[in-house]
Amino acid sequence: MSDRKRLDRREQATNSWRLGVLALLFTGALSILFFRLWFVQLAAGPEWLEEADQNIVSSQAIASPRGDIVDRNGIVLATSVPDLVIEIDRSLLPIEVEDDVLQRLAAILGLSPVEVREAVERTRSGEVATLTEFEIDADTAYLIMEQRATLPGVTVRALPVRGYTQGSLMGHVLGHMGLPSPGDLERLPTTDTITPIGKLGVEREYDEFLQGTPGKHVYRINPEGAILEEIGTVDPVPGATVRLTLDVEVQAEVERILVEAIDLSNALKETQDEIDPDRTPPPTERATAVVMEVNTGAILAMASYPTFEPQVFVGGIDVDSFEELSERQAFNNLAIQGVKPPASTFKVITYVTAVEENIFPEGVSTPEETIECSPQLAHRFEDDSQLLWRNWTYPESDGRQNLHDALRRSCNIYFWEVALSIWRAYARTDREGMVQEWARAVGVGRPTQVDLPFEHDGILGDRQLFEEWQERQPWRVRAEGWLGGDLMNLVVGQGPIVTTPLQMAVAYASILNGGTVYQPRVAEAIETADGERLRTLEPRVLRSVDISPQTVASLRTDLTSVVRSGTARRAFEDLGGLVELVGGKTGTAQSFTDQEGVFHDSTAWFVGVAPIDAPRWVVAVMVDEGGSGGAVAAPAARAIFQYLLGTEVTPLVAGEDTER
Amino acid sequence: MAVLDRTLEGVGGIFEDRPRPTPDLIVFVLMAALMALGSVMVYSSTFVRLEEETGDPTSAMRRQMIFAGVALVTYVATSMIDYRWYRRFPGLIYGVTMVALIGVLFAAPQKGATRWIPVGTFQFQPSEFAKVALIVALASLLTREASRRMSWKTLGTALLMAAAPSFLIFLQPDLGTMLVVGFITVGMLFVAGSSIRQVLVLGASGIAGAIAVFQLDILKSYQTARLAGFLDQTSDLQGVNWNLYQSQIAIGSGQLVGRGLLQGTQTRLSFIPSQTTDFIFTAVGEQFGFIGGSAVILAYAILIWRLLIVAAGAPNGFGSMISVGMAALLSFHVFVNIGMTVGLVPVTGLPLPFMSAGGSAMIAMAGGMGIVNSVWRSRSPVSDRPEARDL
Repeated sequence: MSDRKRLDRREQATNSWRLGVLALLFTGALSILFFRLWFVQLAAGPEWLEEADQNIVSSQAIASPRGDIVDRNGIVLATSVPDLVIEIDRSLLPIEVEDDVLQRLAAILGLSPVEVREAVERTRSGEVATLTEFEIDADTAYLIMEQRATLPGVTVRALPVRGYTQGSLMGHVLGHMGLPSPGDLERLPTTDTITPIGKLGVEREYDEFLQGTPGKHVYRINPEGAILEEIGTVDPVPGATVRLTLDVEVQAEVERILVEAIDLSNALKETQDEIDPDRTPPPTERATAVVMEVNTGAILAMASYPTFEPQVFVGGIDVDSFEELSERQAFNNLAIQGVKPPASTFKVITYVTAVEENIFPEGVSTPEETIECSPQLAHRFEDDSQLLWRNWTYPESDGRQNLHDALRRSCNIYFWEVALSIWRAYARTDREGMVQEWARAVGVGRPTQVDLPFEHDGILGDRQLFEEWQERQPWRVRAEGWLGGDLMNLVVGQGPIVTTPLQMAVAYASILNGGTVYQPRVAEAIETADGERLRTLEPRVLRSVDISPQTVASLRTDLTSVVRSGTARRAFEDLGGLVELVGGKTGTAQSFTDQEGVFHDSTAWFVGVAPIDAPRWVVAVMVDEGGSGGAVAAPAARAIFQYLLGTEVTPLVAGEDTER
Repeated sequence: MAVLDRTLEGVGGIFEDRPRPTPDLIVFVLMAALMALGSVMVYSSTFVRLEEETGDPTSAMRRQMIFAGVALVTYVATSMIDYRWYRRFPGLIYGVTMVALIGVLFAAPQKGATRWIPVGTFQFQPSEFAKVALIVALASLLTREASRRMSWKTLGTALLMAAAPSFLIFLQPDLGTMLVVGFITVGMLFVAGSSIRQVLVLGASGIAGAIAVFQLDILKSYQTARLAGFLDQTSDLQGVNWNLYQSQIAIGSGQLVGRGLLQGTQTRLSFIPSQTTDFIFTAVGEQFGFIGGSAVILAYAILIWRLLIVAAGAPNGFGSMISVGMAALLSFHVFVNIGMTVGLVPVTGLPLPFMSAGGSAMIAMAGGMGIVNSVWRSRSPVSDRPEARDL
């Protein structure tokens, strides 16, 4: 027995527990491995398997032809036309041969390799570059396909591109296409960055129906991305057709009349210059008109000027053209985005409020009793503030008038007195906003829910809104808050109220059809490419408003007298005997000089319906800074009614310069 | 065998002259099985590419089988050499190792590192042998003292002995191997009887060292990138995490029973870089699933268990410590290698014992296993023959 032996024995004694610790450590480590393996292979395994499958396949999208947009009679407005383009998929093009391939391609196209290289860099999105800028004929396409073996990653495909058949006609309603913005990509999670989507109008609103479903070629690839074989093909599903409620012929006529109205307005301004050179209005540039079915909400025509051609966006619009169009506000659809004070066209709502709520000027208790439509109205409010209001006939009096006369002659004094009666009786009570309640009920100052994007809400002022503004945007309102003067302004469509022409059209339609508020809409149905109807977009009632038939009948009669003998008499003279069938109201929003000293002319309005006894169409015309409603807007509306009623459309002549 | 024994007797009595218990067959069978499986896995991940490139789909597997054969012969050889013989010249073993490690620094770099010395058509990787040599040298050092306590001097000497090759390996650079050396050293010091205080000092200096490594910016950028990638495994899947991501796809897609031999797309189509070497386990995971993967882990568990049994039953401290060192070596390699393929630890280049393609690690480890087997064979077959435990 040596020392070494004793050493051995002792060591074994001390080592045993330490070996145990080591054994535990190893067991723990291997157990962790075991459970991790369990997790990766059994718990998460199916997901990893999916990734493994995705690893070895690559797919190439086949664009789906976009659905057509047709008018209510089936006339094609927008369609898909095949266009041959060269597409280069870099994931299929080995980097070391890229230069050779591009050189060979350039030779076929008869271009310099630099041009081709630049085009690839410019149009690439991810791995795919689509060379839309090179015009390819069938022979060139054939040549490229023939040399496929030496041109890996290069293909010629028939890419469906958008084609618009009607130029700028209905441009705002149709909208346009474009590559998705970052915001679009967030809004539409299934969208890729290279496929154009609808950006405006029907193209945007009905994008999901129009776009169809892209197909794809599926390939098996190796880790370097080279194609080993094609596994399968999924055919694209063409997009659906959207049939509009609009009628190309009505639209064309309305657009023509609108341009004529702008010309008329500018002609009037020239004569005016000589009279009053200090207040030279800028030329009239913008106008809009809407024709809508009173009993369905279907829009027959929606025109806005200036307009644009949707086709200029196909294949990408250049920056200069885009800026030029933007500067002219050509992309604004004024029918749903042009917010302006509705001026006297709003008096119809004050009229309905007065009759329904039985509230009239002081000392008057029926619609038949008259007051003096004096040149001006001075009023001292309870807080001692005094205001002096002038009627548009100032310095003349317009004689004694009852409610009917006041609407016909657009007498501000009468409606101001109604506002004062409301103020006296109900100020600071929950009834003080009765006019706004009626306005809101028939669709003023709120979205019409038309099936077009970017509709503006407008503004309908009341005490609550002013309080909100005081809190959030105090610079918009005076410290005193909502005052009687604000209500007086509002009842004649001035001051704290701006609306879109479509809102006014909806309001008139809702009142004159007896109280049914329809959702205005531009699309009638979604159909397959073969014309089979997939979905009919039925008229949709948003709400019903309780208006007595007597009120409606009385209003119809008074609106008729506006065009027969009131502010629109001269404008509607050309309608002859048919004038009996029409009723409507002029409006002239006040001219003003802005903070930069620029003079802004009055905005001309006319809203009317026909036939008046059983209204079918409502027409709203607004000529932005175009002058008097009676002089400019009413003649344009008259021409539209001539067309709708099937009589000869006569040239526009200036109507009576009223209301200013 | 007896003839060979007698023939070599004169060389210095390195072969035992008494009848000994039979070699540990379990260890031999498991090792051979893992080597065979490794060769098949090498084939499965190379045959498509090799067929395409050279028309010879089996060349990588054949090469691996040659290594396996050499490794098994080495195992038998070291099994038969009496392990006590090494104790006569631990300094020489250590010295030769150091010379080789210094020599490798003058070899031409490959893949950004100088780990290999060319020997004919093969590449010799000294650091793999250095690990086994260090185990033997440390075992010798740690059992030299008669005292029950480990002296600070011994501890210091041991650390210095480990630090020198660690530094040389670090220069290659080979972070993984450096960590193995550290783990083996700590494991052996712990079992050899270092006090709690000494263990604490070791731990503290280890942490200080790790902090120093980061603070001094010693790590290569790819090493810090791998570490950052590991901490956010969903990031940069096309870059630093590509290996880890593809590796997990392969293993995960195997699920319970695997996709079948030669049926795994990840393996067949070479989606995983370094699959035959550091990522060989992914081939098992994809093709044989959880059943195959856990069988491999079980095989290593049994091997480690056998090493600990030998450590516990060794006739002396030297043999015991060698076994402990080998157990530490094997378990660290297995844990880190498999762990990195399943996203448990950061990617470090440590081969999977007996399976990863490459000869040096396999031969060195088989040699180490053989030495332990020699320890096993020298234990007393029956308790009434105490002299068998004498040197």
